[in-house]
Amino acid sequence: MSVRRRSLLILLLVFGLVAGSIAVIATKKTQLGLDLQGGVQLIYEGKPTKAQPTVNQAALDRSLTLLRQRVDAFGVAEPEIRLAGDKQIEVSLPGVEDVNSAVDQIGSTAQLFLYDWEKNVLDEDCKTNPDEPQNGQSAVTGLYNAVQRAAKCDPRVDANNSAADRPRVYVFDKANKPVSEQTFESEADARDSLDAKQLEGAKFVTVPEGILVLRAERGDPDKNGKVPPAPDRWYLIDDNPALSGTDIKDPKQEFDERAGNLPIVTFKFTDKGRKAFQNTTRAIAIRGQDNAPPGADPVSASQHFAIALDNELVSTPYINYRENPDGIDGVNGAQISGGFTIDTAQNLAQLLEIGALPLRLELVSRSQVSATLGKQALDQGLTAGIGGFIVVALFLLVFYRVLGVIATATLAVYALYFYALVKLIPITLTLPGIAGLILTLGVAADANIVIFERIKEEIRAGRSVGTAIASGYKKAIGTIIDANVVTLLVAFVLFLLAAAGVRGFAFTLGIGVAVSLFTAVLATQAILLALSGTRLLSGRAALGAREREARRKFDFMGASRYFFSASGIILLIGALAIAGKGLNFGIDFESGSRITAPLAKAASVDQVREALRPVGFGDAEIQTIDNPDLGKNVVQVSVEKLNPQDNTVTDALNAKFGSAGDPNVETIGPSFGRSVARSALYAIIASLLIIGVYITLRFEWKYAVPVLIALMHDLLITAGVYALVGQEVTTSTVAALLTILGFSLYDTIIVFDRVRENVPRMPSAAFSQIVNRSMSEVIVRSLATSFCALLPILSLFLFGGETLRDFAFALIVGTLSGTYSSVFIASPVLCHWKEREAVYAKRESRIKAEHGGIVPAYAVATAGVPADVAPSERGGRRGRITAPSDPANVSNQEFEDMVRNLGVESGQAAAAAGPSVPGGRRAARRAGNGDGEAAPKPEPKPKSPAARKVTRKHGRAR
Amino acid sequence: MGIVVWVMTGLALWHFTVFLPDRFWGGIVGAFAGAVLGSAIIGLAISGLDVPGTDDTTLLTCLEAIPGALIGMGAVYFEGIRREGAARA
Repeated sequence: MSVRRRSLLILLLVFGLVAGSIAVIATKKTQLGLDLQGGVQLIYEGKPTKAQPTVNQAALDRSLTLLRQRVDAFGVAEPEIRLAGDKQIEVSLPGVEDVNSAVDQIGSTAQLFLYDWEKNVLDEDCKTNPDEPQNGQSAVTGLYNAVQRAAKCDPRVDANNSAADRPRVYVFDKANKPVSEQTFESEADARDSLDAKQLEGAKFVTVPEGILVLRAERGDPDKNGKVPPAPDRWYLIDDNPALSGTDIKDPKQEFDERAGNLPIVTFKFTDKGRKAFQNTTRAIAIRGQDNAPPGADPVSASQHFAIALDNELVSTPYINYRENPDGIDGVNGAQISGGFTIDTAQNLAQLLEIGALPLRLELVSRSQVSATLGKQALDQGLTAGIGGFIVVALFLLVFYRVLGVIATATLAVYALYFYALVKLIPITLTLPGIAGLILTLGVAADANIVIFERIKEEIRAGRSVGTAIASGYKKAIGTIIDANVVTLLVAFVLFLLAAAGVRGFAFTLGIGVAVSLFTAVLATQAILLALSGTRLLSGRAALGAREREARRKFDFMGASRYFFSASGIILLIGALAIAGKGLNFGIDFESGSRITAPLAKAASVDQVREALRPVGFGDAEIQTIDNPDLGKNVVQVSVEKLNPQDNTVTDALNAKFGSAGDPNVETIGPSFGRSVARSALYAIIASLLIIGVYITLRFEWKYAVPVLIALMHDLLITAGVYALVGQEVTTSTVAALLTILGFSLYDTIIVFDRVRENVPRMPSAAFSQIVNRSMSEVIVRSLATSFCALLPILSLFLFGGETLRDFAFALIVGTLSGTYSSVFIASPVLCHWKEREAVYAKRESRIKAEHGGIVPAYAVATAGVPADVAPSERGGRRGRITAPSDPANVSNQEFEDMVRNLGVESGQAAAAAGPSVPGGRRAARRAGNGDGEAAPKPEPKPKSPAARKVTRKHGRAR
Repeated sequence: MGIVVWVMTGLALWHFTVFLPDRFWGGIVGAFAGAVLGSAIIGLAISGLDVPGTDDTTLLTCLEAIPGALIGMGAVYFEGIRREGAARA
């Protein structure tokens, strides 16, 4: 098949895919993430229980299934529930506004236990007295007092312990208020979860195993159906349940007709449960009768049966010994009443129906995005995307003219494919995902730049347009694949290891890189080859390759010591900034809450602070926000110590100033913050290792070390700049840092690829001369790719809104640092290191001897030996080529065209066609013939003092 | 955070080795390893085998890295000279 026919077929495929993409885009719905449409995201961490002592995959899978059933019962459209990390489960609920209800419904462990009440209630001496109703106890006021009392009890270890199957540590602040309602397995765990401020004056109280601190039951709902808040009154009981949630079946929400149609939950017992229920109620009835004073009212003298759900007493019905002397036959089941609205009763019935979770789920992060802010973020993301596309297209058009038009067209095709894939897969589009899409515009354009520069180089070397395209592609494809594979690997590492929000970015980045490879390598090539015979591409000017590019004579290696020093100073300043000012870690790492609330009444920062002081948040960071979309009076409150279940701040704000809309709440628990930091560190280490291995495989290990040093340099400089300007470090920053690893490598690979190519071409040159030559050849494309990658990032920075601006800031710093380090760190380190090799040391000694003790910056021909030669290609065929070597792919006509394009006679065609000339191209060049390669002429020997300025004396004495 | 500051300071000092004759064992990469490892190890030793956390990292932490980096690079340098001498002999 001829090249033109193959190109046309590829174009046909491209147009077919374009048509398909348009169809997909027109018919399929875009799945928007929570950050773009509003909703609630909850992240839970699985904790072991006595029944499930290890958090293994099976337990997580079972929990995931149960959570999915709960979410389905909650009636949320298109929820997403998935495992995240080792022990975490991420629940995304688009469109949900009532975060409290979602938390109650979804994350509740739903551990139901039924107790013989009098047999288990403990008195102040930790003793039970089954003969006395309720052991003569009333609930203890204040959790601190209850826990202090419980801490004095001896452990009651037995096989029946359930809710209190291990010691639990409670944490209180100086004012004896619980820091959180969460308990910990050890004091060390508890301390680990607190920040420095919380640790000041914190009190840790351990309740022994078998002693359960149970919250007293809530009151009944008022006339409006509003359930009173959970009371701060607590009972201490021996954790010795008679039945558990596994002993019941068919829970339903019903109404108690005898009690004014109050909502209740009814259930039936399993066979085992029925027997246990009857035995227990019989024992309660008998005990009640035995201990009742003569003539006593059985209602007041009867003993009780208690139902507890998730450490909260739901109800304590009495067992009337006169009506049920033999206990209650559980054949008709039982009911749970008290403190329910219809909704909460329905929820409980559903939870009981689905069953208890095998793991204790701790809510470690909660994000609530208002729909207004979501829409605003979507608009900003789209504006940044369109802006990014326009600036990249403009750059390509100005810089590459006709080639730029083709690149812009393929960029549009790329964007179309990408959007269609987003809808087809479907990929839930998030704000970081949009950032990934915008960044890949730069990646896609970079691939075109590398190819176009190669084509221009071929044209300037005297090739025809058609040959230049084929040859340029052949030479550029390795560089593009290397650079894109590295970005793909980094995206893969990010996807596997990074925090939840970053995964969307990694996924879109990965997909984008893969699609851009297709459009840049196949589609652009097909368009170019199809047009190569037309007038459009006939002129060199149209391709931006009119005049021969003047070789840049800058002594990169000679100047590197000064740039090295500059880097050292920048790093030192960065180190001082990190040490002195520190990095401003956001709540993703430090834990805490950020609440953006639209208020009904205008409020100053001081007024908000005064409103928050009574609830213990007088020291919160407060700022007013100018966001007309959200409302006139918007405040943002950042607090350190607020656990994910706590709504104190929003409640206080609403009470004082009223609410003008849903707040945006982001709460990160301490353990989640730690896991984010840990996963970020793992992701960076894994990325560096993978990059090192890849570079070693594709180049050699001595190329990998400078790459890693340069990357380390980029990361640390970015960190230093963050410390200097006090920019907040978030999970987006980590994603940006990892993206920098991929982007920074693009430049380095371009340079190293050319160094590798030039090494066999320059068999007598010093390594510094090879690097100087390589740098001078690729510096334009290296700078162009960086600039092109920077353009969409700038668009993100300018139009992307607050979240994307943070992300773009890190990318801008990283991209600039990456470009700098590719040229002035990675290459000089490689150069200095390689120069120590015997072969290069020998060359250097010879060159110094020939040039009066200095090594010219650029290789010069001496004694009739050219500075560079065409490399011999391994496996090349020997002998003359007088016909197409591959008649199936190259027609005779094309072969003749190629011969004409190369400007040689048929007899010279063999020499021009490649490495098959006896004696090689070196011989051909010596004979004064062009060798068909882009090998430049030997560099003239510097003669004047001015010319000597471009030489350098290597600083190392050898 | 302390370890980041130590390594960063060591790395910063390493940049100035380009002004020295390249007699480091392992060349410029050997000097890099000496600077980074030296700053981290000596920094750790100075702070009592405890890496300062975010709140404990101060300007002094930065200074703690300097002797380590110099010792590390010096050790690599003199090892390079020793090896050169041995090779010549």
